Order: sequence, then C-alpha cells, then structure tokens
Amino acid sequence: MELALGIILGCCALGAGLAMIAGIGPGIGEGNAVASACEAIARQPESKGSVTTTMLMGCAIAETTGLYALVIAILLIFVAPNILVDILVSTIGAL
Amino acid sequence: MKKTSLRFRIVDAFYIAMMIIPFIAGIVLKVLTKPASEGINITGAQIYFTIPMPLQDFIVTESQINSLLVTVVILFFCLFMTHGLTEKCELKRQHFAELIVEKVDGMVNENMGEYFMAFSPFIIGMMALSGVSSLITLFGLYPPTSDINIVGGWAVLVFILITYYKMKCGPINYLKSFTQPVALLTPINLIGEIATPVSMAFRHYGNVLSGSVIGVLIATALGSLSSKLLGWLPGFLADIPLLQVGIPAVLSLYFDIFSGLLQAFIFAMLTMMYVAGAFDADTYRKIMEKKKAKKVKKHAGVE
Amino acid sequence: MQNLDVISVNIWQMLASLANLVIIFLLVKKFLYKPVKKMLETRQNAIQSDYDAARDAKNQALADKDAYEEKLRSAKAEADDVIKSAVNVASQREKEIIAEAKVRADGIVRQAENDAVLERKKAEDGIKKEIVEVSSLLTEKMLGREVSAADHQNFIDSFIESIGEDDAD
Repeated sequence: MELALGIILGCCALGAGLAMIAGIGPGIGEGNAVASACEAIARQPESKGSVTTTMLMGCAIAETTGLYALVIAILLIFVAPNILVDILVSTIGAL
Repeated sequence: MKKTSLRFRIVDAFYIAMMIIPFIAGIVLKVLTKPASEGINITGAQIYFTIPMPLQDFIVTESQINSLLVTVVILFFCLFMTHGLTEKCELKRQHFAELIVEKVDGMVNENMGEYFMAFSPFIIGMMALSGVSSLITLFGLYPPTSDINIVGGWAVLVFILITYYKMKCGPINYLKSFTQPVALLTPINLIGEIATPVSMAFRHYGNVLSGSVIGVLIATALGSLSSKLLGWLPGFLADIPLLQVGIPAVLSLYFDIFSGLLQAFIFAMLTMMYVAGAFDADTYRKIMEKKKAKKVKKHAGVE
Repeated sequence: MQNLDVISVNIWQMLASLANLVIIFLLVKKFLYKPVKKMLETRQNAIQSDYDAARDAKNQALADKDAYEEKLRSAKAEADDVIKSAVNVASQREKEIIAEAKVRADGIVRQAENDAVLERKKAEDGIKKEIVEVSSLLTEKMLGREVSAADHQNFIDSFIESIGEDDAD
C-alpha cells in the first residue's frame, strides 16, 4: 500500500517535471521572434507599433504549447494524485 | 468648462460608488467564507452552493460570483463613461470613451473588414470582461479567468460564432470545407476545428493560472526564507514575513497586470481573426446573387 | 466550504459564463457603444453642416466679388469713354481754334501786306514828288536859266522813268 502510494506520488511529480521540458520550445521560439522583431524595428523604426503588436500576438500563440505543458504539470501535481489515490484505495481497500 | 450641476454630481458619485462596491462586496464575501490557509495551497474556485440540474450539477462558485461582480462594474463603468455626453466634448471622460470606441472600431475594421463592424461592441465587452476579470486579483479576489469553465464558455461562444459564419455559405459548403485539400485529412480538420476553442481557452486560463501559481509559490518561498533569515529578530518581528512585503508586488506587475491585459487583448484579437477567417465573402456573395436571381425568376414566373 | 479542483469542467458553469459574455456585449452595446457612436455622428453632422455653411458663405462671397469686379470694370470703361469723348471734344475744339486762329492770322497778314503795299506806293509817290521838286530846283540852279515848261516836263519825266525803272528792278 505504502509502496504503491509512493510510486504514484513520485511518478506524478516526475511526470510533471518531464512535462515542463516543453517549456524549452516556446522559450526558443519566443526568443527568435523577439530577435526578429528587434531586427525589424532596427531596420524600420517607424513600424515599431505594428511590429510590437504582432510580436506580442505571436509570442502569446507560441506560448500555447508551453501552457499546455503547464496545465498538464498542474494536473499531475494537484489533481491526478487525489484521483489515483482514490482509485488505489478503492481497489486495494477492497482486497 | 461648464459648471456641473449638483444632480449631475450626485449621479456621478452613485456610479463611482457602484463601481467600487462590488469589489468591496467580493472582498467581504471572501473574508467571511474562505478559511485561512497555510503553506502552498493551489485549488480551484471555492464552491458556494450547487443547484441540481440534469446531466451535471450547476456548481455556483467564487468565479461565477466574481464574474457577476465584474459585469456590474462594467455596466456602471459604461454608464459613468457615457454620463453627460455632449456634442462639444466638455468632460474628460468623454474623450476616453470616444478613444475606446474609435480604437476598437479601427481595430475591427482593420482585422475583420466593413462587414463585421457590428462586432465592435462585442470586442469591447470581451476585452473589458477579460481584462477586469484578470485585474481583479489586485483586490485579492479570485480571478474568474483562472477558472477553465469561465474562459471555456467564452471560447465556446467564439466557436459558435465561427461555425455560424461558416454556415452562412450553406451547410453543404460547411461540410465540404472539412475535406478541403484531400478527403484523407478530414479527421485532422475536425481535430483542428475543435482545437481552436480548446487552445483559446487553455491559453487564457493557463496564463492567468500560471501567474497565480507562481505568485503563491514565490510568496510561500519568501515567507519561509524570511523566517530562516530573519528568525533571530526579537519578539513578534520574527513571525512577520518581512521579505513578503514588496517583492511579490513587482511580480504581480507582470503576471497580473501585463499578462492579464495582454491575454485579454489576444483573446479579442484571436476572436476577430478566427471569425473573420471563417467567413468566405466571395462564396457568400455568389450565393446571394444566385438567390436574388432565383427570386427574380420566381417573380417573373408568378407574373 | 469545499474547493473545486484546479481543472474541472462543468457544462452549466460554461453556459453561465457564455451568457455572461453575451450580457456584457448587450450592456456595452446599449450603454457605451451606441451613445458614443450617436454622439460622434451628431458631432460629425454638426461639423459637416458648419463646413457646408462655410462653403456656401465662401461661394457667396466669391460671387459678390465677381459682381463687384464686373461693376468696377464697367465703371472703368465708362470713365474711359467719358475721358475719350472729352479728349475728342477738346481736340476738335483745338483744331477749330487753331483753324480760326490761322484764318484770322492770314487775314491780319494779308491786311498788313496790303497796308505795306499801299504805304509803299504812298511813299513812292511822296518821294517822286520830292524828287521832282528837288530835281527841278537842282536843274534850275545848275542851268541857271529858265527852261521852257515843255522841256522841263519831258526831261523830268524821262529821268523819273529811269529812276522808277531802276527802282523797279
């Protein structure tokens, strides 16, 4: 029982940590986007407003994958253990 | 500047009071109902009561109440803004109201085109609701936007709008659009169709929630750090988490204000783009012309 | 009090928030968008009417200006006519005066000439008479004798003739 509980909690935490690896992608992508935006503004300072707006939009959309990972991580940390422990109790407790 | 009458000022004061009272009511409600929590405590909205409904119980939570409060605030904000509108623009608030309306009008015109100008108040309302819902954390209230159900409801409305504008070209054309490049891609197209509202909802929800999660984590970390570092202070000073005083405010500047407003803007922007992209103006025009031609023919036949 | 999970999907909550958004849309449309739009429109109309009035006034002023210019031009032409006729009259008068003066001067000159001629004749006659007297005296003295009256007359006549011829030449 204790071993199963430990495995569940540990794996949930591990899974959450692994899920957040997805944070790398948006980081790189947003970095590229901001770099390109800086270049564009340096080349055409008069288009700063529209470039900034577009960049923020693009960044927010690129961030989506990272947010999916975040949601999964939050689910694994705060929601999944309860459900899994309930399942465990209901199955092992019946034994 | 024209001197305002007493009556005018009283109405103004009433509107301003009605803009502030909901926040106070929300804080009072929270203080009365929420038990003090220790340590890291990240949960969803607090449940007030449930109404039995078919399919699923309707759970009235903090986020529902808070979004109603936000609605009241926005209503009285609108009333305050348009109170005392004059042709000569005598009050400062009128400039602001006109600025909002003209900016959003310009944005809608730029992103969606003339046909969708009726969307302008919808976009204003969406931005206001989303923005104020996110900014409500500054009062210590639970932000409704960090509840997936609230944001999901908006996303579902956007999905309904997208489908409606796709349906405008006829249901057959709508169904045909799923098999657009190749018939093989139909499942992927279907997934993509459903992914639109889901991704919108998760984007907004995740951003606000991540802000509050990071806020809680940092506040807790600072609390424990200050008890470790400043534990040698005499008396009750050791119990006060001094490090918690100013630092979380700086973070909340980004996570609550900037992120919340940016997400409101992006949600509105994506709504505009998706809805405008869903509407095929050329096909619609062709269909309308055909219908007109048919009508004319019918008339000719009757006569 | 119980808390919801971080993620828990509830259809009725979603519907409630959807309805909330629709209500917000209607509220914003009714209380913010329409009044402001209406106000903008009335202001636009007022400005447009002001512009129209200004344009009308400008057109009126331009028309007035044209009319005044036309009037001025005609007045100028009239003045020119007056001056021209005056000049004509004056020049005519001038010619008349000159002609009259010429005629009168001619008359004076002619009279003077006639007078001169008459005077000359008179003088000639006087001179002739004197010469006759002088010559008769001279001859009487020179000859010392009385010449017969006939000879005398002949001689004097021939002499005077020669003098007159010489004179006439």
